[in-house]
Amino acid sequence: MNPEFQRNLWLELAPRRMILMVALLALAFLAAALSGGKDYGIAGGAEWLFYAIVVVWGTRNAATAVVGEIRDRTWDMQLLSSIAPGAMMWGKLFGATIYNWFGGAICLGVLLSDTFVHKGAPQAAIDLVFYIAIGIISQAAAFLASLVAVRRRQSHSRLDVFVYQVVGLIAGVAVYSIWSIADPAGSILTHKPASDFVIWWGRSFDTRGFLLVSLAIFTAWTIVGCYREMRLELKMRNGPLVWLAFLVFIGVYVAGFDAWLSNDKSVAGWDAVSLRLALAATLYAGLTYLMVILEPKDRVHYRWLGSQLSSARLGAFLGGLQAWMTAYAATVLCSAALLVWLHLNRPQSLEQSAVIAAALGFLTRDVSLFVFMRSSPRRRRGDLAALGILVGLYVLAPAIVNGLGLENLLMLFYPKPSAPLWMGLLVAWAEGLTMAVLALSRASIRNNPAGRSQPSPAS
Amino acid sequence: MIDVDDLVYEYPSARALDGVSLKVVPQTITALVGPNGAGKTTLLRCLAALEAPYAGHVLIDGLDTAGAPREIHARLGYLPDFYGLYDELSVRRSLLYAARAHGIAPAAAGAAAEKAAARVGLADRMETAAGQLSRGLRQRLAIAQTIVHEPRVLLLDEPAAGLDPQARRDLSALLVALKDGGMTLVVSSHILAELEDYCSEMIIIEGGRIVGGKAVKVRDVERPRYLVEIATARSDLKDFLTARAGLDVIECDQHHALFTFTRNASVRAKLIRDLIAAGFEVSSFGESTKALEDAYFAQVRQP
Repeated sequence: MNPEFQRNLWLELAPRRMILMVALLALAFLAAALSGGKDYGIAGGAEWLFYAIVVVWGTRNAATAVVGEIRDRTWDMQLLSSIAPGAMMWGKLFGATIYNWFGGAICLGVLLSDTFVHKGAPQAAIDLVFYIAIGIISQAAAFLASLVAVRRRQSHSRLDVFVYQVVGLIAGVAVYSIWSIADPAGSILTHKPASDFVIWWGRSFDTRGFLLVSLAIFTAWTIVGCYREMRLELKMRNGPLVWLAFLVFIGVYVAGFDAWLSNDKSVAGWDAVSLRLALAATLYAGLTYLMVILEPKDRVHYRWLGSQLSSARLGAFLGGLQAWMTAYAATVLCSAALLVWLHLNRPQSLEQSAVIAAALGFLTRDVSLFVFMRSSPRRRRGDLAALGILVGLYVLAPAIVNGLGLENLLMLFYPKPSAPLWMGLLVAWAEGLTMAVLALSRASIRNNPAGRSQPSPAS
Repeated sequence: MIDVDDLVYEYPSARALDGVSLKVVPQTITALVGPNGAGKTTLLRCLAALEAPYAGHVLIDGLDTAGAPREIHARLGYLPDFYGLYDELSVRRSLLYAARAHGIAPAAAGAAAEKAAARVGLADRMETAAGQLSRGLRQRLAIAQTIVHEPRVLLLDEPAAGLDPQARRDLSALLVALKDGGMTLVVSSHILAELEDYCSEMIIIEGGRIVGGKAVKVRDVERPRYLVEIATARSDLKDFLTARAGLDVIECDQHHALFTFTRNASVRAKLIRDLIAAGFEVSSFGESTKALEDAYFAQVRQP
């Protein structure tokens, strides 16, 4: 047996704890039965208990699977073990949550028995897949968030762990909400009417089947993400191909929903190709922001990347690229393709093209800002400061400018049509390039042995 | 066994190691000494392939830490200065887990756990929970977990910190036994007296650099340094000692002599008998315990 899983079994599934779980659940079901099924009955109670034990509590345990080891100073011993990253990943993900799955399995037994009796075996099988998937995806998301955070810093407060748990909970709620949209009985959370089909890449698919396959694929990607982060933790290097494959997949997946934009006024008259490119570019830009916030921005690593590039070690350079960098490159590529396509097929969209090009300039400014703020030797809360500045740039400053009746100056802060059109473009890229130069300058500062910093001769 | 070439390691705010190069020969115990903040722990973590160098290479048993970190992890044991144990697991389960985590087959893990426990004197506490052990016994358990897979290289960061004198003596004996069993050890400490008992080589690190540029041989474990003291001054003490086969005088005056000689007890007994027979009034004879300290200050005083 996987030694990491075995260790977790020793710690988590002590007989006393198992008896306690069984007894508490039995009492809960008894209480539900005695209440006469006025609210949800035994099956309804079992469902909510499953969510509480597997999703809410399970994400907490998944979030502390590695963070707890670091806190208890046992992580170094595990890093030095011979356990392969895959085995370590699933040994921790399923080992740390095995007690939750033990309780969840009891709840599922009660819940699915009821489904089997009232709705038949096929529905019980579909529900089984859904409940297992929502448990895995929420726990894996919390686990992944904690692994990404582990690379940024070594100390983790209870609040930090709560944040990682919240990431898992958001994933769980998202899965639940999307699934509920396709529920023939209607959604409990959104109260929106059920939809029987989904249009994707111009073809119609059965909603539940489409969502089930999507859920399975995204669960797999989340697990792959955990595996790759675990590899990094175990001091192994990741090549760029898997992340590139994910970018291609997610771009193609999201681009298929162009039909959703057909009624949007801002892109009225655009053809399917333009809409798909716009969707993919927007998604990549979102991923760039997400990853630049999440990933460690270590100027020592950036200098190392520069040295690999200057000495033409392209393999090491590509292997050392961070996810936000490739997402940024994908955004630029997709946006450039969109601009070319619009120019060739819809020349009257000049204003929209200018806004898209300006948006790229502001994206450059924003990611450079994060790198700049985190590259200071003493800046520990650089991400928070960068987020604060962005709130100022996108919310506070525009509100003030608007209040003063100077709407023409809004192009200084975010993409907006300007007169003349090139002015907005120029401002955005001037800001973007200035910030990029500042970030590169700060990242290239060398340390001396005494800890003081000095400018690199190359800078 | 360990070959470090021009190693540079940087934290975002400081360069911790600056062009470190060193070699550690097999089956030795090397002291890694230096003041607090000198870079000892960072160097050990680079040797353990837990930190990737900014520049330079670290070879452990011929493997590069940058290219084969997991293979190196399988070949070495590392005990950090601050370590944790699974307090709820028994000593047996802690060692079983460590054995299995280090790739020992399930069928052999039990025997490996028993052997490691016996080596550190925990064989009679196999069913005790780690959380119930005293500080000294926890240290032993941590070392047992580190050596359960018989690593070729053992790195210990301040292993004697907080131990009582008896526990320190036990630790010294254990480390010498591990070296005699074929392991290569690097032990970090900023307390020289702690390392006197077992280290034969010394690397001094200050400000992220190796002082003197290489490892210093502080003594030959098979030929320790002895100090003899005589009550009445004799000008022929040096000549008498120099004439003995296998004895090399390091320093000598009319009352004292510092020399290297065999560790063999009966040969040493014969030397004492000969000194007394020759009319030297021997008032003390013992192994010099300041070899490391002498070597340290000799190195750090160099310009």
